[in-house]
Amino acid sequence: MTLTESVRDALETTRVESHLNPPASYDLGDHPVPTGREETWRFTPLKRLRGILDGEPSDASLTWETTLPEGITMPVISAEEAARSGELPPNDRPAALAAVLSGGCQVIDIPAEFSSDEPILVRLHGDDADALVWGQLLVRVGNHARATLVVEHTGSARYSALTTVVVGDGADLTMVSIQDWDDDAVHLGRDAIRVGRDAAVKHAALTFGGNLVRMHANVEYAGPGGSAELLGLYFADAGQHIEHRLFADHNAPRTRSNVNYKGALQGERAHTVWVGNVLIRQVAEGIETFEENRNLVLTDGCQADSIPNLEIETGEIAGAGHASATGRFDDEQLFYLRSRGIDEKEARRLVVHGFFNDLIRKVGVPAIEDRLVTIVEAELSKNVSGKVL
Amino acid sequence: MAFQRACALADVAGDEALAVTMGAFDVAVARHADEVFAVENICSHAAVALSEGEVDDCTVECWLHGSRFDLRTGKPTGLPATEPIATFPVDVRDGDVYVDTETTLNGVVPQ
Repeated sequence: MTLTESVRDALETTRVESHLNPPASYDLGDHPVPTGREETWRFTPLKRLRGILDGEPSDASLTWETTLPEGITMPVISAEEAARSGELPPNDRPAALAAVLSGGCQVIDIPAEFSSDEPILVRLHGDDADALVWGQLLVRVGNHARATLVVEHTGSARYSALTTVVVGDGADLTMVSIQDWDDDAVHLGRDAIRVGRDAAVKHAALTFGGNLVRMHANVEYAGPGGSAELLGLYFADAGQHIEHRLFADHNAPRTRSNVNYKGALQGERAHTVWVGNVLIRQVAEGIETFEENRNLVLTDGCQADSIPNLEIETGEIAGAGHASATGRFDDEQLFYLRSRGIDEKEARRLVVHGFFNDLIRKVGVPAIEDRLVTIVEAELSKNVSGKVL
Repeated sequence: MAFQRACALADVAGDEALAVTMGAFDVAVARHADEVFAVENICSHAAVALSEGEVDDCTVECWLHGSRFDLRTGKPTGLPATEPIATFPVDVRDGDVYVDTETTLNGVVPQ
């Protein structure tokens, strides 16, 4: 073996692209209008996007209501400036359109050394299901900062957003995105996170409402030692399409990623999609990754698609794994509860409650915990038409 | 029953279905010998337009995975599709095909 070959074997001399996640690009030419047959679009009912992919300009916006702890600032910068200051380029057409059409990028600046238990609350609300809204958000977290950010979506709109989170070295960020839209909303969102050296990020996507919600959560690393925990919780009712796509790009050594998404489905044509992917690059030695998806199918007529993927370029890792399970109620759990005098309906509620509570605890933001439990309880109390499994 | 004109009978080829958009619905109009049928133009498995597949022996084939749907009943004749597609009432008058998308013949709610 010559020296060049050994160097080539040890290093990624030409950039390896993921098979499942096309390279990010601002160029709309790199993101042609999908036909619905593409691997990344085949689960999404394109007709129900109601024309978002056509990319019509629009100056409609959601209403913003924010609660900011002392020290947090929210400037607006141009799209060009966002691209220059570390924004992660769009990965699909709706995100690329948002970058072109948003008319400016909203920034949330969390200064270095910032530390607070008080969460940054951003409430976004839409009033019109036909309003087309392009959003662009850049969250900059300074070195060694410690913060919690909650972004909540309510009301209705046709909303496509490009969100980037750049986390400084040694910082600790918890970011929660709640999708509690009305039944006629369409939401396409791309959250991409760049994790600084030795930084820790927790990202949680919680999706309950909306006609069609398709969220990307991508993570990559700016240096060794970074850690990302990607959590998700979703509840699809009759006719809802909820899609979550995850991508952890391990591009630095000794980094960590852990993905855990849990969902429940009830009612005719409730459809959830979960696609997880992890790319372990040649340079990413000693990394650890695990991704997991669990789906609980509560009634007949639902469809849960779940596809975990792994792309591995080096074997010198601490651990890599994935798991996926989709199933109905465990009869033994229900039998146990009923044998203790709990009626069947309450027993079902308790089982789903337990299934989700585990994850709500992991999100670990006390300020919104009660609200999450309330949303889950409200979903559970909805009458389910159709046959109960 | 509200029949609306979908297309001219002459536009419907014998070996493939014709895609017609009627209000909120995409309908595939197909014929078998002298009979004319209208079904929902979307495969119940992977959401492919059935009008892109071929029609043979009173069935329409989804080209992507090969499931065939009976034009009379909407039922798939083989995997991977397991759920029927909606079938709509058809009336042929003076060489034109009329379809009623408000009711389905087999009780399936269109997607």
